[in-house]
Amino acid sequence: MKVRISDDAAARACGADSIAAAFAQAGAAVERVSSWGMQWLEPLVEIEGVGYGSVTLDDVPAILGRRAKSIGPIEDHPFIARQTRLTFARAGKTRPLSLEDYAATGGWQGLVKAREIGPAAIVETVLQSGLRGRGGAGFPAGIKWKTVADAEGTRKYIVCNADEGDSGTFADRMVMEGDPFMLIEGMAIAGLAVGAGKGFVYIRSEYPHAVAKMEAAIRLCAHLIVPFEIEVRVGAGAYVCGEETSLLNSLEGKRGEVRAKPPLPAHKGLFGCPTAINNVLTLAAVPWILANGAQAYAAFGMGRSRGTKPIQLAGNIKHGGLFETAFGITLGELINDIGGGTASGRPVRAVQVGGPLGAYHPPADFHLPFDYEAFTEANGLIGHGGIVVFDESVNMAKQARFALEFCAIESCGKCTPCRLGSTRGVETLDRIIAGENVEANLALIADLSETMKFGSLCALGGFAPYPVMSAITHFPEDFVLREKP
Amino acid sequence: MNSTEKLVMMANQIAANLAHDDDPAKATAEHIHLFWDPRMKAMIDAHGEAGLSPIAASALTKLDQPG
Amino acid sequence: MTFQRQPDFGTRASREGAQVTLTIDGRDVTVPAGTTVMRAAAEQGADIPRLCATDSLEGFGSCRLCLVAIDGRKGTPASCTTPVEPDMIVRTQTPHLAKLRKGVMELYISDHPLDCLTCAANGDCELQDQAGAVGLRDVRYSSDATHLGQAKDHSNPYFDFDPSKCIVCSRCVRACDEVQGTLALTIEGRGFGSKVSAGLTSDNFLGSECVSCGACVQACPTATLIEKKVVEIGTPERAVVTTCAYCGVGCTFRAEMRGEQVVRMVPWKDGKANRGHSCVKGRFAWGYAQHQERILKPMIRASIDQPWREVEWDEAFAYAASELNRINAKYGKHALGGITSSRCTNEETFLVQKLVRAGFGNNNVDTCARVCHSPTGYGLKTTFGTSAGTQDFDSVEDSDVMLVIGANPTDGHPVFASRMKKRLRAGAKLIVIDPRRIDMVRTPHIEADYHLPLRPGTNVAVLTAMAHVIVTEGLADETFIRERCDWDEYSHWAEFVSQSRNSPETLAPVTQVPASDLRAAARLYATGGNGAIYYGLGVTEHSQGSSTVMAIANLAMATGNIGRRGVGVNPLRGQNNVQGACDMGSFPHELSGYRHISDGETRRLFEADWGVPIDPEPGLRIPNMLDAAVDGVFKAIYIQGEDILQSDPDTKHVSAGLAAMECVIVHDLFLNETANYAHIFLPGSTFLEKNGTFTNAERRIQPVRKVMTPLNGLEDWEVTQRLAQAMGLDWSYTHPSEIMDEVARLTPTFAGVSFDRLDAEGSLQWPVNAANPDGSPIMHIDGFVRGKGKFVVTDYVPTDEKTGPRFPLLLTTGRILSHYNVGAQTRRTENVVWHPEDLLEIHPIDAEDRGLKSGDWVKLASRSGETTLRATVTDRVAPGVVYTTFHHPATQANVVTTEYSDWATNCPEYKVTAVQISASNGPTDWQEDYEALSERSRRIEAVSAE
Repeated sequence: MKVRISDDAAARACGADSIAAAFAQAGAAVERVSSWGMQWLEPLVEIEGVGYGSVTLDDVPAILGRRAKSIGPIEDHPFIARQTRLTFARAGKTRPLSLEDYAATGGWQGLVKAREIGPAAIVETVLQSGLRGRGGAGFPAGIKWKTVADAEGTRKYIVCNADEGDSGTFADRMVMEGDPFMLIEGMAIAGLAVGAGKGFVYIRSEYPHAVAKMEAAIRLCAHLIVPFEIEVRVGAGAYVCGEETSLLNSLEGKRGEVRAKPPLPAHKGLFGCPTAINNVLTLAAVPWILANGAQAYAAFGMGRSRGTKPIQLAGNIKHGGLFETAFGITLGELINDIGGGTASGRPVRAVQVGGPLGAYHPPADFHLPFDYEAFTEANGLIGHGGIVVFDESVNMAKQARFALEFCAIESCGKCTPCRLGSTRGVETLDRIIAGENVEANLALIADLSETMKFGSLCALGGFAPYPVMSAITHFPEDFVLREKP
Repeated sequence: MNSTEKLVMMANQIAANLAHDDDPAKATAEHIHLFWDPRMKAMIDAHGEAGLSPIAASALTKLDQPG
Repeated sequence: MTFQRQPDFGTRASREGAQVTLTIDGRDVTVPAGTTVMRAAAEQGADIPRLCATDSLEGFGSCRLCLVAIDGRKGTPASCTTPVEPDMIVRTQTPHLAKLRKGVMELYISDHPLDCLTCAANGDCELQDQAGAVGLRDVRYSSDATHLGQAKDHSNPYFDFDPSKCIVCSRCVRACDEVQGTLALTIEGRGFGSKVSAGLTSDNFLGSECVSCGACVQACPTATLIEKKVVEIGTPERAVVTTCAYCGVGCTFRAEMRGEQVVRMVPWKDGKANRGHSCVKGRFAWGYAQHQERILKPMIRASIDQPWREVEWDEAFAYAASELNRINAKYGKHALGGITSSRCTNEETFLVQKLVRAGFGNNNVDTCARVCHSPTGYGLKTTFGTSAGTQDFDSVEDSDVMLVIGANPTDGHPVFASRMKKRLRAGAKLIVIDPRRIDMVRTPHIEADYHLPLRPGTNVAVLTAMAHVIVTEGLADETFIRERCDWDEYSHWAEFVSQSRNSPETLAPVTQVPASDLRAAARLYATGGNGAIYYGLGVTEHSQGSSTVMAIANLAMATGNIGRRGVGVNPLRGQNNVQGACDMGSFPHELSGYRHISDGETRRLFEADWGVPIDPEPGLRIPNMLDAAVDGVFKAIYIQGEDILQSDPDTKHVSAGLAAMECVIVHDLFLNETANYAHIFLPGSTFLEKNGTFTNAERRIQPVRKVMTPLNGLEDWEVTQRLAQAMGLDWSYTHPSEIMDEVARLTPTFAGVSFDRLDAEGSLQWPVNAANPDGSPIMHIDGFVRGKGKFVVTDYVPTDEKTGPRFPLLLTTGRILSHYNVGAQTRRTENVVWHPEDLLEIHPIDAEDRGLKSGDWVKLASRSGETTLRATVTDRVAPGVVYTTFHHPATQANVVTTEYSDWATNCPEYKVTAVQISASNGPTDWQEDYEALSERSRRIEAVSAE
């Protein structure tokens, strides 16, 4: 009897290792696989397709005796069944470092195709697929690749941004821990497309398991991607290094400071060379696109947002996890139908979409379809696809303050609006919370937000006003209640 | 080292460095002619060949007829 | 001229050729492609508010004041990082932009002290200006966290660092990175905590890697980094552009003045030699001009054991003339001579040699170039036909391979070194040939591809071995050689260098350079694209100095690296006006423009102009003068601005020569060491006190302008003229421009030079004449000056200076960034904090053998003499080699150097002396005797009340 248990960091954090050991001790053949992404069910144990959720050590004998209560066939679980898994097609199903499993599940077919059709056709395929940067900016990947391919330079680089720092996000980590060869394949295809011989994966230091998996996977498949080479570099705990130009500086061994653009990294990126820098999810989508064709991918989605988006449900939510679906699903569906509402059972008050610098949306926004443009129009952003849910106990003034405090702590310090504005913003919100000159200080915050939004050099300072102003706009009562007479 | 000894050393040094010229003695004589003060030329002339390398000694004989 | 900052266009000028037309605020603007929107606007006179941008640095985009609106573009891009595009429509002021700028400025001022009225930068502060420009009227933040009240860093002797006033624009850090290339500064911390730091938190500026070039101070928009002199005096009220009197780079500065007081020297951005950069010497070390030890009254005495007696100018000139005339009458005219100075102007130098040739009636004139670059004159004249470097400094921007031999640019020519480093950081390759591991071998972001640490004295062997590789491996540029050089001479040379005795392998035991490295370096130079050779006194100051210069010329010709940008043979001149002093006819065998004294036609030109006959025989060179003095036939000398006792080799012989003379006239700022043997002292004027021109290493003639009245009452050219008049010469120059007119009249290469043109054009590179009306940045473009380039066989002739049991080590000498030459100027400035004494560098193995450690007093002895100084143990030198500087008279390093010299020019062999090092307890007998003599000789008689 083969028992499959995830070795993903989230599963392990829930005790998957000791559960696996217990199964092994009981004589079962344990196979450590990637995670299905149903985090509220971890540790999730699978035997012949049937799942057992939130397993404890006490449950082991019952499961082995087939006496335990199962969640039924995992594939049929509504959370899984409702998804369109292209990037996460292997999630829960393969051993992350098994070349055999990878090849058996369609691995390397994208690279084979890419080698067959050559650089220009790869770029064209990605362009036609409508794939946009999954890191948050949503820039068309094909155009970026074409720019790098066309740039002059004897050396070019592929850089994978795996500095996944947004609150409530974990999709990059799941790819690297669960399906590392797919990311490697995507990078190798990108290298082929733009003429780069070397790639770097820049992984945040808080992801030691991902670092280990990626390093191991790169060693295992080096012979399959030659002459392309990949190296893992580990960050040093700065959120701003998820911003692509800071990341490049950090990769070069410099201070993680944002660079002004132009020059674009595509023209002058890593070590001054043309560089295609993409998020993990962007690169991970590429093998499927190459293997299945641009049209197949573009068939999913809505408007200018094509394909699927791995959405991460987190915070105060009943069914938190990875939900990959075509663009177009509404916020309300995601939170209520799929997520099952709050974990606390209290009504949802606010939802932050797109990381710590995303806007806070009230339930009134639940009609919004998950689509880059729709969110932009609603003064929000979908960012990396992280959704953090808050119930009615939340104090939105404190959340607004937190956004600026986060910005102050994580600011690289280069541009004035972010360097000074974030701290002044915290101070001013403190005065508002304390009830000092609330009206004047709210006006000052509005002005500061405009200065930061339009004046900042990068998205860190530029987006910090989103949570602040959305909190003030949608939840004004939290800012005026305690005004002193 | 007195002044005459110095001049002998200098002449030998010039000769050694011009040894690869087509006509080393002539080249040495020319060099001395162009760069030495008349008193220095007179001193080495008066001193004679003692201590001079063959090229330098030969150059000395050409000093009176420069060019 | 009232004081104004030099215009700042915010970002660098574009070098691209294509023109782009766009619209800025409704006006059409046409600028080169690659120009930023900010610069395009600034060139129209529309200054977009900015703080982090300045036109010496790359656009950075941090202050966010320079945001603009561009039709069809999202957001508000920063104009400093946005290049122009055709038909772009830009608006620099809209209500939205105005609000954003106010918002940014409000943030700045929420963290800035409001002490403008008592701030040293009041009236010269960009933050103040921009706050006004954006119309900030109110700061609404009640700031809890600020950077106010931090301790100031006063450690640097020339500037203060006040972090409380810092706006974290990074201009200082970027200037250190991009302009100076030292990378001493950084931004420490992040976010609100970001602050400028000179390295580690524990470091202050003085203790850091900062080389005090001043680029950060110049770049600072506030009072955060500010000259101590501005703090002390206040802001300047006028500025005069003039040329630095230190090294041969020839930086131009704005002397920013208040009254006749220099407030600061700020590098002139339009200066073509320095392009707005400076080093610690030119930028800050000019305080010697007001030093209390300056002598301001003429002095005379009958013999050197008497104290000096101050006299009026008239008496001094009359006495000097009578002494010179007496000696002329008694010993004949050949007993007189003069020495011109590479520190003085062209005009002053020209007058001194004219005084000797026309007044003394002989050619006994020489110059300090004798002891530095005379082999350059000989070697390049012989091979190329002219005694000068082939390139301008800008040329380095197009170099692909730099070969640096016998030069230490980061110390000796720091401003040009910064430009070299910039090019190297951009990818050019570097070969260093030097016995020492100089800083260029490995410095931040630069590492030499090859360092050939040769044994001192084997330059010719190394270069000939390189030629061997180039010729035998078929790397020579035959097309170039056939077209531009004498093929027969080349063939003769090629046959010579190809001999197996010249192979790197055969010569390795002599040069101690691994053959494989030498071969690789030769291949790189020959095949790496534009190859440029830069050299210094480590080439010339050898028994084969002239041969080495010619060997360098051979290499450049053999590889076709001559006659265009990016290549060439470039002597890095030691002193500010070495080139000029040589150009002006300071050598005993040449008239101005390098025309031999035996050339009748040239002589007749001068005779007609000057109205006197000119001696057709070459005169005495400096060492020959000293020999003749010891022999009793050379009796009087006029020395302008040179301290031969300290700077020339074999000090004991120099002192014997001087002591044997009856009339030594020293014309200098200070009672220098030579003045200990002088009978007449004529006080000199500093470069701040006179008009004239200097010519730098790239043949660039640049104006020196008087910014203050000479403290002694006379400019140096006037002193020489008054002396000449006292001797009966009918000179009547009223301004140095008339002297230059005379030079131009008599010198074909200077025919087009005049003060008017220099004022109008800033500088001119000779030759300036009918064939080259705008001057000549690069020489030998279409052909060599001498016609065909001449290959000269340079056989390696080992020096007679050999190590042996008594003197087993080789001493080589050099200099250090903070000091200049004999230190007469820099020792009288705060620069002594960096280098208070000369130190002896010795390898750990040699130190171990002798039981020495860093800081120990050691005796340095050669067959010439001995001195003591302190040791520093370092592997920068190879085993068997020791190194020191000659900046301090207390050390008198030249007591140790010998009488050996270059075969062709008598340039001393400073760079090779066999020595022994041993532990010592204190000064040598010589040092003690000399100290006593100095003290006695420097006495000045108390002036009695009249």
